[in-house]
Amino acid sequence: MCLSLDEVQVCGAKGQSLWEAETPAASRMRPLLHIQAGARTDLGRVRKNNEDCYAIEAALQLYVLSDGMGGEAHGEVASNLAVQTILTHCRQAENSRATPIFGEVSTDVSERTNRLSSAVHLANRKVFETAASNPEQKGMGATIVAAWIDAQRLSIAHVGDSRAYLLRAGSMEQLTADHSLVAEKVRVGILTPQEADASEMQSVLTRAVGTNSAVEIDTDEQALVVGDYILLCSDGLTRMVTDPEIASTLLTSRSPQEAADRLVDLANDNGGVDNVTVIVLRVDEKSESVFERLKIWKKHST
Amino acid sequence: MSRLVLRFENSKLKEVPLGTRPVTIGRAPDNDIQIDNLAVSNYHARVYVEAGSLVVEDLNSLNGSFLNDMRVERAMLKDGDSILIGKHEILVDQTHDAAAPSEEWRKAPAPRVNETMILDTHERRKLLEMTVAAGERSQSSPERSRVPTLTVLRGRTDQKEYRIAGKLTVIGNSKMATVRLRGWFAPEVAAQINKHEDGFYLGRGDRVPKINGTSIHGLTKLNDGDVIEVGRVRLNFMYRE
Repeated sequence: MCLSLDEVQVCGAKGQSLWEAETPAASRMRPLLHIQAGARTDLGRVRKNNEDCYAIEAALQLYVLSDGMGGEAHGEVASNLAVQTILTHCRQAENSRATPIFGEVSTDVSERTNRLSSAVHLANRKVFETAASNPEQKGMGATIVAAWIDAQRLSIAHVGDSRAYLLRAGSMEQLTADHSLVAEKVRVGILTPQEADASEMQSVLTRAVGTNSAVEIDTDEQALVVGDYILLCSDGLTRMVTDPEIASTLLTSRSPQEAADRLVDLANDNGGVDNVTVIVLRVDEKSESVFERLKIWKKHST
Repeated sequence: MSRLVLRFENSKLKEVPLGTRPVTIGRAPDNDIQIDNLAVSNYHARVYVEAGSLVVEDLNSLNGSFLNDMRVERAMLKDGDSILIGKHEILVDQTHDAAAPSEEWRKAPAPRVNETMILDTHERRKLLEMTVAAGERSQSSPERSRVPTLTVLRGRTDQKEYRIAGKLTVIGNSKMATVRLRGWFAPEVAAQINKHEDGFYLGRGDRVPKINGTSIHGLTKLNDGDVIEVGRVRLNFMYRE
């Protein structure tokens, strides 16, 4: 399984096909921030299959991660299909503004975030329809956490218990709320966070992509600053590694790829009970000449 | 969720929901249920949840606590029980949460640890009902019907007042900033405000903003009337009608 992170998607551990990125539309604004990405997916120490899947489309600054569920390796089918659908829809929307939008449009967030949410709605539909037409795939589904960057805006869409974190100035914040039974109970007040961590029902989800004809997607937006780290991960990481360990690994690694490798190793060292997948993004400054900076300043101040 | 209902001479005085925190009862004002009566001790009794059951405990009060007419020091409670403190009655009401679903949930057979599953429709509906009920109880803040705004008290910005709409509000020089800061040295993203379910939170960008003179440490909730300082700019956060 070889990958060049600038262009290629990686799925599973069994040599599935690789997708290649297409060139972005020429009309897209040149990004002011450079995003350096690192990623890794791993079977873990206990499972026989890797049902996690991730994709990076560096040219679009789009990053997607999915954790599949459903017996007999159908989770792999679900996560692959979900990720591929999201990529295709987002690429299409960048090339043609007439691309239809799926699901509800929210006035609380930007067009870009609505578009990302639309992609997840479409993924839900595709996985659901596939499961409905193949009896042995009944009940298959997947989590999704997706990040799409447009200049300084980070758009996040998620369903399930895969997470997005933002690490800024040494302080890490979880951007997504888990759609899991124990997390919902903590929010309602039935369980304390400590009880939730000890619960045997931690892997029961309240929402997933593909298990119902419609799905409620949570979205979020953040403004990005040079030096920020963004982490997308499946629960295989967060069940095995604490948040402070994650933060310190990000801060002490020399590159996002090194951080990704170290995080996966940590998860495996601590038990590796589940598949583990991470995407680590670092926001770097784009180096430009003074002349180019003047041009940008002039454009922004009119 | 269960609740305690305070009654006096057949009138309902107060209702207190029972969460994971114990509920204290007494004459002192810092009790959850305050009973202003000389027959009631300052810290008379408390009700809490232990291993899924409700328990009432008398805190060595002068006149005692009575459960269904028996004086008790400590006793388990069930739906419909009545605790007498002085002349006030405290009823245990568990009817709204469909026979303590917290216990039902705990007793439900745990699925195999390694399998990821999705809640079935029936379970999901029950959880949704509880979530809605909890949400309704916490939705007492009048701020929900008012519009959050930022008024410029000092500094160079493109407008004098801004209405905060949307999940992300940026204060900076960036094209996507709501509050556009003027000036050569203004950073793209000086600070940002995130909308969460329970209110608006101020977070740092390139700068660490201050709320009412104090630098923030991580995301901090904004209250009506707070003064935000970012660099040379001072903004007043307010909820308007």
